[in-house]
Amino acid sequence: MAKIIDAKGLACPEPVILTKKALEQQDAVTVIVDDDIAVGNIKRLGAKLGRTINIEKKEGGISHIHISSGVQAGKQPVAGKDTDTVHYESCDQNTLVFVISSDRMGRGDDELGYVLIRSFIHTLLTLNPLPDTIIFYNTGVKLAARDSEVIDDLKQLEKAGVSILVCGTCTNYFGISNALGAGCISNMYDIASTMAGAGRLITP
Amino acid sequence: MNRAVTYEVLMFTSVSHALRAEKILKEAGIPFKLIPVPRHISSDCGVCLRFSPDYRKQIEEALAGKVDVSEIRVL
Repeated sequence: MAKIIDAKGLACPEPVILTKKALEQQDAVTVIVDDDIAVGNIKRLGAKLGRTINIEKKEGGISHIHISSGVQAGKQPVAGKDTDTVHYESCDQNTLVFVISSDRMGRGDDELGYVLIRSFIHTLLTLNPLPDTIIFYNTGVKLAARDSEVIDDLKQLEKAGVSILVCGTCTNYFGISNALGAGCISNMYDIASTMAGAGRLITP
Repeated sequence: MNRAVTYEVLMFTSVSHALRAEKILKEAGIPFKLIPVPRHISSDCGVCLRFSPDYRKQIEEALAGKVDVSEIRVL
């Protein structure tokens, strides 16, 4: 019997948190929500955890989301026993993801590379449509720090709906985990699954 | 990108001039932002320094005799 969570009227991210907690103890969970944002978020959570999801639309904007333990069909990953399996939603050809792996653009001259990357980040704002996600890792994470010279650009991108994932291992390495100015600290599972699910993946 | 704020930009004849100006303005604590030269101004792959008009005098004084500014334009 599935555990039922009534998350009607709860604001984001409460429904997701409740679902996550329930799934830690229970294989099958049904979540009742009354807004589409929550449906999307819970769907993503389920996909991330590799669960099977069925959504039942009811009257009055209410959805019943049934999550069960069944692994989604498809290629089975070859993960070691010590590694969580990383599932990702099948890619939409139009998903655009940028990977910023350095706080320099190109190799050769660092001073010039720093000019170019700032210019590049600023230009991302003018793209139409905007990218879906920007991933920062290695020295790239420094660009998302509070004192970064492109932090206003990143804040604007975030405000416009661009998801900004910043590698937590990297911010920890550089000692800037508490000094993030934009985006959210992410992990290798999210980073790998976002890259795998991208329609187009661009590294400047 | 429709903002009420208007900006002006400092244009240079070379990237190295822009970098020198950047260094001077940073040391002087004057706020500015390095951006690519807007397409409607030039299609060259160049960079310029954007600033709020409030700082124009300060910037001109800081750079006078030190860096060749080719042009100051309103964005």
